[in-house]
Amino acid sequence: MSVVDTMAREQRLDLLQGTLDLLILRTLQPGPMHGWAISERIQQISRDVLQVNQGSLYPALHRLEHQGWIKAEWGISELGRRARFYKLTAAGRKQLELETGDWVRLSTAISRVLEEA
Amino acid sequence: MNFYDVFLRCRAIFQRHRVEDELEEEVQAHLELQTRKHVAAGMTIQEAQAKARREFGAIALAKERCRDERRTGFVDHFRQDFRYAVRSLRRDVVLTLVALFTLAICIGANTTVFSIVNSVMLRPLPYPSPERLYWLGERMGRNRAETTIGADYYSIREQNRVFEDVAAYGTRTLNLTGVEKPEQLDTALVSPSFFKVLDSQPLLGRVLAEDEQGVKVPHIAILSFRFWRSHMASDPRAVGKTISLDGFPYLVIGVMPQGFDYPKGAQIWRPLSMDERNEQPRRVDRPMHIVRMIAKLKPHISERQLDTELSRLTASVYREYPKEFASAGFLEGMKILATPLQRQMVGDLRPALLILSGAVGLLLLIACANLANLLLTRATARQRELAMRMALGSGTARIVKQVLTESLVLALPGGVMGVIIALVAVTVLNAWKPSVLQNYPPLMLDVNTLAFSFGLTFLTALIFGMAPAWTAGRIRIQEALKSTGPVHTSSRSATRIRHLLIVIELGVALMLLIGAGLLGRSFVKLATTNLGFPADHLLTLRVNLTGGRYATLVKQKQFYDEVLGAVKRLPQVKEAAFSSDLPLSGDDRFYSGAKFEIAGHPLPMAQRPQAGITVVSREFFKTIGIPLRAGRLFGLEDTERSRDSIVVNEAFSRKIFPAEDALNRQIVIGPNNPVKWRIVGVVGNVQGGQLGAEPLPLIYRCLCQGSGAELYRTGLVVRTIRDPHSAIGAVVAQIHSVDRDEPVFDIRSMEERLADSLAPRRFYLLLIGTFTAIAIVLSAVGVFGVLSYFVIQRNREFGIRIAIGAQSAHVLGLVLRESAMLAALGIAIGLAGAWGVTRYLDSMLYGVTALDSLTFTSMSILLTAVAIFASLIPAMKAVRVDPVIALRED
Repeated sequence: MSVVDTMAREQRLDLLQGTLDLLILRTLQPGPMHGWAISERIQQISRDVLQVNQGSLYPALHRLEHQGWIKAEWGISELGRRARFYKLTAAGRKQLELETGDWVRLSTAISRVLEEA
Repeated sequence: MNFYDVFLRCRAIFQRHRVEDELEEEVQAHLELQTRKHVAAGMTIQEAQAKARREFGAIALAKERCRDERRTGFVDHFRQDFRYAVRSLRRDVVLTLVALFTLAICIGANTTVFSIVNSVMLRPLPYPSPERLYWLGERMGRNRAETTIGADYYSIREQNRVFEDVAAYGTRTLNLTGVEKPEQLDTALVSPSFFKVLDSQPLLGRVLAEDEQGVKVPHIAILSFRFWRSHMASDPRAVGKTISLDGFPYLVIGVMPQGFDYPKGAQIWRPLSMDERNEQPRRVDRPMHIVRMIAKLKPHISERQLDTELSRLTASVYREYPKEFASAGFLEGMKILATPLQRQMVGDLRPALLILSGAVGLLLLIACANLANLLLTRATARQRELAMRMALGSGTARIVKQVLTESLVLALPGGVMGVIIALVAVTVLNAWKPSVLQNYPPLMLDVNTLAFSFGLTFLTALIFGMAPAWTAGRIRIQEALKSTGPVHTSSRSATRIRHLLIVIELGVALMLLIGAGLLGRSFVKLATTNLGFPADHLLTLRVNLTGGRYATLVKQKQFYDEVLGAVKRLPQVKEAAFSSDLPLSGDDRFYSGAKFEIAGHPLPMAQRPQAGITVVSREFFKTIGIPLRAGRLFGLEDTERSRDSIVVNEAFSRKIFPAEDALNRQIVIGPNNPVKWRIVGVVGNVQGGQLGAEPLPLIYRCLCQGSGAELYRTGLVVRTIRDPHSAIGAVVAQIHSVDRDEPVFDIRSMEERLADSLAPRRFYLLLIGTFTAIAIVLSAVGVFGVLSYFVIQRNREFGIRIAIGAQSAHVLGLVLRESAMLAALGIAIGLAGAWGVTRYLDSMLYGVTALDSLTFTSMSILLTAVAIFASLIPAMKAVRVDPVIALRED
């Protein structure tokens, strides 16, 4: 492992258990995306704070697919080769709403405790 | 779980390669995109690729986690275990083959017996709602509750609240006349409700109308499908035609569809002539109709409700009888009983089938013990391998699963082979059609049977896989891996299980042996029973006189005299006689029986003894060879004017006159009968309707005496000079020379009758004998296996013993002692088991008790001999252990 990596890691946060699913769903809200793009997007938007572990990303995609929240279709990537594009399903949209609500309530509650306790 | 998930999981299972390829492609696409990103940032291709891989982490792990998300792991594991099992079983060809054949034979045997049980007992009767059909019978005194008094039929039909309808019927054989070849027909006389109870529609025409019953019923007939096909060439216009029965014309009003076959074998249904107004005033001094009854329960009536209703009906019917009946003891223990129709029809076969099922079940148990032992030996041999896998992180559950998969891999092809064996057996049985199965639909491997075999296969796999799985789950990794010696250092518990299994196996085998031994002895005793007359050179056949033309005694006697004269003229005939009953006719009831009292000692009806009455022609005793014990036989002095002479059998004289001489005593038959019969002779007993039955008191009357000895249905007995079969043609021709229109049937030599009456037993004995033989072979294989293992395990010990000078005999003794000990324990279990269960054989035993000590002892000795014999080869191996090699091992 290089020195750069180690330094970079210090500024990044590992994802909380279960939040990856939420992030994936949210990332897919605007439109279909393949796995790499999802991880890039999360990293980008979080300004490199959230690092998606690839070892977790693909199992998570599998899991969400099995739950029927996303659907995979083959499309053509930027490189001009086949890639699996994931798309939110109707059930996925509902789930996203639900989980977003939960998350907002939870984080508000936690911040409140952290600020006022 | 949603549909899409199910779809994806199915895809993961059935298109596994494609799903895997897609996963690989997805990962590669990711890596390429990541590489391009790094290249764009200024890295070389190699650096970028390496970095992308590093960032991705362990690809294999990620993929494995993806697979976990599919949640199809159990299938993947099964797939792995399956392949592994097949591979390891292929390595051990002998063991695999032994196991496969054991399974195939035992599952085949079980499936065959099940198909018999299925055909006879389980396949529902071919009528709508068969589970609601019941047989009704009245138990009165010593009656067997198979029949009902005609008057009570009307009462029950009218008063009951649980049956949709109740029907009465009787059976009667008639002659089909007016045709080229006269023929016997089984017909049924039925009430109109009969067809309602069985809820069946005719194929052509109609069934009986409600008013077609009473004293005078029209001469109408409903034909069976079989009769319609064979005698009317399936004529679609058969309805309206006429057939002739016993010389009377009958109008055909309908044809029943194929499969309508109740009572079994009936060819024609006619109206039952019986009238409520004549039956209902029950009177002691008048004979009453006796009918058989079937009924259909209303829907949703429980057993309890039925029982309650039957008790109520019994009480109500009882009250309808005038006082004299009760005081005469007629109604003693009266009870109306209902039996499910199917069970009633299975009748006597039921215990035998249960015994057969028990026997094959035991056989399967033996097979399981054997297979468990085989697999256990292997499991022990593989202990180190399993321990290694556990050390590498395999869970106990995973190992147990793998061992069970292995037993399943063995069991499935075994089960399939078993079904094939059963298919062959069933085909053979259907072609052979043993007499026991004659009245039942052909055996089939239907859905039920196949489901049974596969259920059995899985169960077997589970049972015989349990022992090895259990020991596999208890492996202590450290010990197993530490031991460097030969792989046969098995744990004590495994050895103990193995010995326990073989002991149980021997015990069960002994139970089968004892059962088969008891049945075998019964068979021999029965086959060698003294019939009471020499059975060789006897031809027997039956003739039924057509009612109309032989209505008078004179006409009948003329026919009999002419036939006897014609037959006796044949050069190949020594003697001939008529008798109303033929020995070994297969029927255990009297042709006709009567209650009587000794003259001068009046008794109330209920207390009078009963005896069968057989009407014979003068030379009957001489022809068949029944010895005279006292007095005289019928002779020329017995004529129409001397109608009081009777001959009785020994059973009669012993039972009725135990202390006195029966000769010249007089008896009176029936109520208010002025005629007294005088006993002029006592003859030996003969085996009556059924072989092995206790001889019953019997009265012989002479055909020559006239009135009171009418004889429509009769048997002809002919003693021939040479083989009775060679005389058949000539005898039948002589009968037809007297009357062309009389059907002659049931033509068999007496020896054939004997063989036929033994046939059911021979069939059961054959099956149980086969199972027992298989059981013995299996136990021998089992003992051989366990002792071979015992010798290998103690190889070193034997080597040392031999090195320090042990004699061959001593080493031999060590091994044999081991097997004798196992046998002894097995025998203890087997004797206890047999002692507990042979009582269920009671109904099939003759001349031996269920605890016959000779059988118990001899079979135990036989089993010990088998065990010792099976251990001879391992014992010889022990003797030949080379101490040098044995000690060098490790």
